[in-house]
Amino acid sequence: MFVFDNLSILFLFLILLGVVPNLFYSFGYLPHIKRKAYYLIHYFAFITSMAGVVVAGNALLFLFFWELMSLTSWQLILSDIEGKSTIKAARFYFFMTHFGFMFLLLFFLIVTDGDLGISFLEMKSIAANFAYPSILFFFVILGLLSKAGAVPMHVWLPYAHPAAPSPVSALMSGVMLKIAIYGMFRFLFDILGTWQVEWGVLILIMGAISSLIGVLYALSEHDIKALLANHSIENIGIILMGFGMGMIFSSLHLPKLSSFAFVAALFHTFNHMSFKSLLFMGAGSVLHQTGTKNMEKYGGLIKSMPITAFTFLLASISISALPPTNGFLSEWMVFQSLLASSSIDSVTLKLAIPFSIFALALTGGLAIACFVKVFGIEFLGLHRSVNAKHAHEVNGLMKMGMILMSLVVVSLMLFAPFFIKLFDGAIKGLSGTTIYTQIFPNIWSLHSINNNGGVVSPLILLIALIVITAALYLVFRSLNIKQRVFHTWACGYNATPRSQYSATGFAGPIRRFFTWLYDPKEHFEKEVISEHKTKFIDASFSVHVEPLFQRFIYEGAVKLTNKISYFVYRLAHFEQSRYAAMIFNMLLSILFSYRIFVHQFSWATLALESVVMIISVKVLLLGEKR
Amino acid sequence: MILYIAMILLMILLSPLVLSFIKMLKMFLLYKKPISIFQGYRDFSKLLSKEIIISKETSQITHIAPYLVLSPLLLTLFFLPPVSSGEYYVSFVDAFTITGLISLSTFFLMLLGLDSASSFGGLGSSREAFISALVEPAMILTLFSVSMMANNLGVGQAGLNLSKHFPYEHMASFIFAGISFFILLVAENGRIPVDNPETHLELTMVHEAMILDLSGFYLALIESASSIKFMIFASLFASLFLPFGLDLPVVLAIGVFILKIFFIAFLVAILEVNTAKLRLFKVPNLLGIAIVFSFLSLITFYVLGA
Repeated sequence: MFVFDNLSILFLFLILLGVVPNLFYSFGYLPHIKRKAYYLIHYFAFITSMAGVVVAGNALLFLFFWELMSLTSWQLILSDIEGKSTIKAARFYFFMTHFGFMFLLLFFLIVTDGDLGISFLEMKSIAANFAYPSILFFFVILGLLSKAGAVPMHVWLPYAHPAAPSPVSALMSGVMLKIAIYGMFRFLFDILGTWQVEWGVLILIMGAISSLIGVLYALSEHDIKALLANHSIENIGIILMGFGMGMIFSSLHLPKLSSFAFVAALFHTFNHMSFKSLLFMGAGSVLHQTGTKNMEKYGGLIKSMPITAFTFLLASISISALPPTNGFLSEWMVFQSLLASSSIDSVTLKLAIPFSIFALALTGGLAIACFVKVFGIEFLGLHRSVNAKHAHEVNGLMKMGMILMSLVVVSLMLFAPFFIKLFDGAIKGLSGTTIYTQIFPNIWSLHSINNNGGVVSPLILLIALIVITAALYLVFRSLNIKQRVFHTWACGYNATPRSQYSATGFAGPIRRFFTWLYDPKEHFEKEVISEHKTKFIDASFSVHVEPLFQRFIYEGAVKLTNKISYFVYRLAHFEQSRYAAMIFNMLLSILFSYRIFVHQFSWATLALESVVMIISVKVLLLGEKR
Repeated sequence: MILYIAMILLMILLSPLVLSFIKMLKMFLLYKKPISIFQGYRDFSKLLSKEIIISKETSQITHIAPYLVLSPLLLTLFFLPPVSSGEYYVSFVDAFTITGLISLSTFFLMLLGLDSASSFGGLGSSREAFISALVEPAMILTLFSVSMMANNLGVGQAGLNLSKHFPYEHMASFIFAGISFFILLVAENGRIPVDNPETHLELTMVHEAMILDLSGFYLALIESASSIKFMIFASLFASLFLPFGLDLPVVLAIGVFILKIFFIAFLVAILEVNTAKLRLFKVPNLLGIAIVFSFLSLITFYVLGA
């Protein structure tokens, strides 16, 4: 019925770490939610369902809790309706999550042979006898990664996360996406068991592309919550890169390297939970104080909201993978497992891996640029709107939530050996290989598993940084230097809020460099004085970037569906005999494909069945040409 | 151990001299009256005695960031490859950590630019964010490919291994990596084709724009950070791409090392005199070359083993 092995308990722990600070924050946020009872019921049902998914021991319970998780989060998005965009976002989310659910259902119907009550162990033997394991794998990744938000199933994230109330965005991005990662571990290890090397490569490439696409769209975003949602795509990409390397190594029979990569993926899962929840909480506090999600309206908030600002700074440093934070440690592990690939023989694989290293490194660089933009525009400089001027620190409970979450971030950095021991235990339960003693010979330094690999010691780095900074500060104190306060020099003018750099301007060079990807829609209007081109009273500039994937894949799919349904409509509308014929043909094709799918495949029967299908369609459905 | 500490102190002490040397050489080549080679020290001591003017618009970040710009770079000095083969060194720190520490310093420098609410600061930060985002992948790929040629991912150990077994069999990827790293040295330190360290003109500024509102002790911290950053890159280039002279007696080895540093400074000065500064949107082309070379280096090493 339920499973409580190391992996389940590990993810219960993740949910606990993510939920406890969120509870404080959520109760602090509650006065601003209109439908309180509605919100609370769905909030707690959401948390329960997430815990339910990770302990579910059979398909029925898994699907039940999975669907409950989707539905409650969908309702939570709708708990604060701010106009049509919220409803549209919720509808998009509803569609995407059920798109994934359908594939999970198909997966389970195949691996359970129709009996949804059997355990994962029994499913494994059925799955092993199934003729086309790759189809099962595709069902798994379509079902789970559409929830996790990997490219190309990521399009709902930047709509759904901003629409939800902030504590819920923190939970959805911090914890719910990780439940999909849990599913990846559970299904691939416990149900599919062995896997082909191509699957790992596919996951690795999806991860590399997700991380780049996520960070690039994050940079072009002005809506703070949509920006953070895009960063979730990036981090899911990094997790998948670790996961994909683990799968590649495992299918090449390199158990130690594979365990190392899986541990890296799990570590990044935890890290992303911690800092992304913290970032969403900080964004929520700012949003709550200023009443807008537009970054161009913030500025100077560090003076009025110091606790929000400094916890946000901690999370920004961590998500940018700067040493010695926890985000750095897990990205370091992913890097090391990518580099361990030099022992692989296959040349194509060897070519795929420098590309991934490059993608991860570029992602790191762009993430730094992005978080300088977020923190700098949001908290530094002068206030850019009246609301930002009158902002003040949020209430005690919300502060408590943010402080607790930053403690989680710090403890993931300080107690990395302890956490890695947990991850190692979970991986040991799945694959049977333990590597803890090799990567942590002592608690000071984290070793890479490959030969002549690198070593990093988070504690020593942290202590050394503190010591050096303290020494410099002591020098400063001992010099006894006078200080004077004066205005910023702005070429003889006053420094005004409007003369500062904006978020759009900050990302300008990068947007211009990646024009081919963004294809930005720029609107530039100015009111000129007596037809002088350069003299104007008033000017406005705005940029809008529409995601490429949405335009091509999603809107294309909608158009195609419309065309097909129009064709069907023309064919069979108001013609009962044709309608019946259509149903008959559909049944026939399902029966044929089921036979091919489940039983043995042979070209002769395929040809025969195709002929039967074509004749049946021609005779019954299309008829003679009119 | 004493040699290790002494070498770090020597590098800190030498770093203003190297930058002054570049400036002096450039002025000499341009038929100007050259500044003294000790100008760096004079500026530093003068800055220490001045008062600090804090801008009214800034926040606590201005008081925190200058320390955090300098301290990661100082920490990086401890992880560099050894200068002579008998010396103590930290063998295990890899390229990702070193790049990370340098990025940490850049991160706070960029925040400093945005803190003073002036349009110059934002301009500098925005450009620096753009450039450093493109530098980072090239830097990581280059250092990794060199350290894989040296058969050890730790940069310190890699420097030593290279001096013992020069990778003649991987010459192609070694040269690719060398070209890429030299471009990065120029780009990361804000030298001429990428950024002009001497002007205060808004069209050309990157690094200078971010620190326009600093003065006194804080400016001294930032200035020494930029000279130490040059020292880090120069010594990485010296140890990884000019790996000879480590087996000489200690004093000679140190002498050779200093000569190598000044040789690199000489190359940079010649480059600066002979090229014009690139427009900001031409800079990605240069960095693109660095990225392509580092990529090529890794791929030739990985796939061809050459």
